[in-house]
Amino acid sequence: MASVRAASRLLSKRVLSKTTTVPAASVQGSRNFHFSIYGKKKNAKVSDDISTQYPVVDHEFDAVVVGAGGAGLRAAFGLSEAGFNTACVTKLFPTRSHTVAAQGGINAALGNMEEDDWRWHFYDTVKGSDWLGDQDAIHYMTEQAPAAVVELENFGMPFSRTEDGKIYQRAFGGQSLKYGKGGQAHRCCCVADRTGHSLLHTLYGRSLRYDTSYFVEYFCKGVIALCMEDGSIHRFRAQNTVIATGGYGRTYFSCTSAHTSTGDGNAMVTRAGLPCQDLEFVQFHPTGIYGAGCLITEGCRGEGGILINSEGERFMERYAPNAKDLASRDVVSRSMTIEIREGRGVGPEKDHVYLQLHHLPPQQLATRLPGISETAMIFAGVDVTKEPIPVLPTVHYNMGGVPTNYKGQVITHTGGEDKVVRGLYACGEAACASVHGANRLGANSLLDLVVFGRACALTIAEEHKPGEKLSPLQPSAGEESVANLDKLRFANGNLRTSEIRLNMQKTMQAHAAVFRTGSVLKEGCDKMDAIYQTLDDIKTFDRGIVWNTDLVETLELQNLMLNAVQTIHAAEQRKESRGAHAREDFKDRVDEYDYSKPLQGQEKKPYDQHWRKHSLSFVDPKTGKVTLKYRPVIDSSLDEQDCAHVPPAIRSY
Amino acid sequence: MSRHSKLQKQVLALYRQFLRAGRDKPGFIPRIRDEFRENSRIKKTDVMHIEYLYRRGQRQLEQLRDVNTKQLGSFAKPKDQS
Repeated sequence: MASVRAASRLLSKRVLSKTTTVPAASVQGSRNFHFSIYGKKKNAKVSDDISTQYPVVDHEFDAVVVGAGGAGLRAAFGLSEAGFNTACVTKLFPTRSHTVAAQGGINAALGNMEEDDWRWHFYDTVKGSDWLGDQDAIHYMTEQAPAAVVELENFGMPFSRTEDGKIYQRAFGGQSLKYGKGGQAHRCCCVADRTGHSLLHTLYGRSLRYDTSYFVEYFCKGVIALCMEDGSIHRFRAQNTVIATGGYGRTYFSCTSAHTSTGDGNAMVTRAGLPCQDLEFVQFHPTGIYGAGCLITEGCRGEGGILINSEGERFMERYAPNAKDLASRDVVSRSMTIEIREGRGVGPEKDHVYLQLHHLPPQQLATRLPGISETAMIFAGVDVTKEPIPVLPTVHYNMGGVPTNYKGQVITHTGGEDKVVRGLYACGEAACASVHGANRLGANSLLDLVVFGRACALTIAEEHKPGEKLSPLQPSAGEESVANLDKLRFANGNLRTSEIRLNMQKTMQAHAAVFRTGSVLKEGCDKMDAIYQTLDDIKTFDRGIVWNTDLVETLELQNLMLNAVQTIHAAEQRKESRGAHAREDFKDRVDEYDYSKPLQGQEKKPYDQHWRKHSLSFVDPKTGKVTLKYRPVIDSSLDEQDCAHVPPAIRSY
Repeated sequence: MSRHSKLQKQVLALYRQFLRAGRDKPGFIPRIRDEFRENSRIKKTDVMHIEYLYRRGQRQLEQLRDVNTKQLGSFAKPKDQS
């Protein structure tokens, strides 16, 4: 039985078993929490001195999944299926996770619309990632894609169908046939324009068949969970933890993400002393509604929609002669920004462009794009069959996250080699496998969720057995988290949570946008460091413990800040333009060879002089200081015979 | 002595179930007792509040019965520190 419960904070023993993570200097005085079994008063003295008491419920499971979006649910019931006693801890009800907002579709080389091969999909993804993606992980994902989609279809996902009953596949950005030479590919399987919604509901429905315990509306911090319903704290002991907490769009002022996208998983990993990878790569989706920020899916352009400027010109033809509006998202975002900057924007302030759909037949709009027709009406007041929609590039996805290998295991880079962190896994947007590299192709994210969610479950099943004995846990495990919680609950500084959050969002929006310049980034880094320090001066108003949303938002703000400082520092350090990270002062990609010229006679640049490498960022949570290291990209695929790796080349559409 | 009302009987039954469920797991019984004693101060007429706590209690009982819940501890902050 999968009972829905309100749960409290979750602490993973992993955090404590690492001696490096427990800071030597204690938090100002409030760290002196005594842990005891409730009621067993060691001596009378202790009981008289207690001012605040936090009851802590201990649970033991074989595996814990943090987050119940697409990836979390897939991992959770994959583990339950394999016989593991699994707990799924989530701060939202599963069907409210941000996966539900995904519109576009899932890429898979099923070959229903035309002849297709997963190796072409592999090529497209590697090119889309601007050669920063790990080719073994991409090989794994694209090879598994058809099987994953068929599995979803067997679970009951209501895909749109063609006339003869096969799954309808539409065109999507960056997808081509025959390694880029065969024209536009149609490989995005979709459910009208609400694929994420059906995916999540299908997975949730499926997961109820299994014995996973759900802990809904439990907020995790550094792996101890706070039950929002009754304010109790819960510690979950498990041999395996899977992080599937999603992205951190809310660090920016204007984004397509929900208010709950606060990068909790990335922050948990950072506090444990592990690195986060490639956080500077933030994807700006070309078509977010101007003003509201709501997403208009790329599927519109896949169905034939076009972007026009103030002169009514289809400007993408100039920037991407072959793919035009279906070029990769970063190319389109940059083109739109250039058009606006050169004065060809529309509207009274000439600061956005139009997405035109009214040239398409109304029946097609009604069957294939019903959701966005309504979204456009509600948020922009336009009737898509008559007027164009005002759009602007908006923060949409985080390519970076917790670094993992292609099996879903979290890795860290020491001594020049990747080293697996035992017992910790990550999947979904929170992870960085890295299949998306410097830029994600549309419709690859939902694929990433299901493939790597399943991969985590399979890896855990391979390496461990259900009912394994747990490593010993210190009785006072989780003390720092409870101390932090207590400190925030009674915080009495000067700045409200909302003020600090707004400062952070505006700074990130102004300084780390589509086009980035060295001086502007440096200014942003200094401002962010200052804002990080203001966290000490925070003021909360609600002193209760039950449903204390003020407290939860403050905890989320702490998580967001950790993500934001890493993003902006990594962006400032990376002195090249690659994928979604576009620098005005360093306009070209800096690889080990210059791929725009023939390779003969060129000398290979040493590792520390080129930028075709992943950035790993560490933060000291006390001071907010960011340290950056680097890790090489994996260039070989899983099986060179079956699918040769793609050597780097110039990326043009 | 007046008879217990329906609601009072339900609360007492819940208490009994809690005590039975928490018998083998360290730390729960004292907390259950404390919680029920604390809430016994609520007036008999405040039915909304009592029913809310009752529903919450049922969910917590389910969680207590779950085989994976092991013990109840507490983090306590000594008075002189704040």
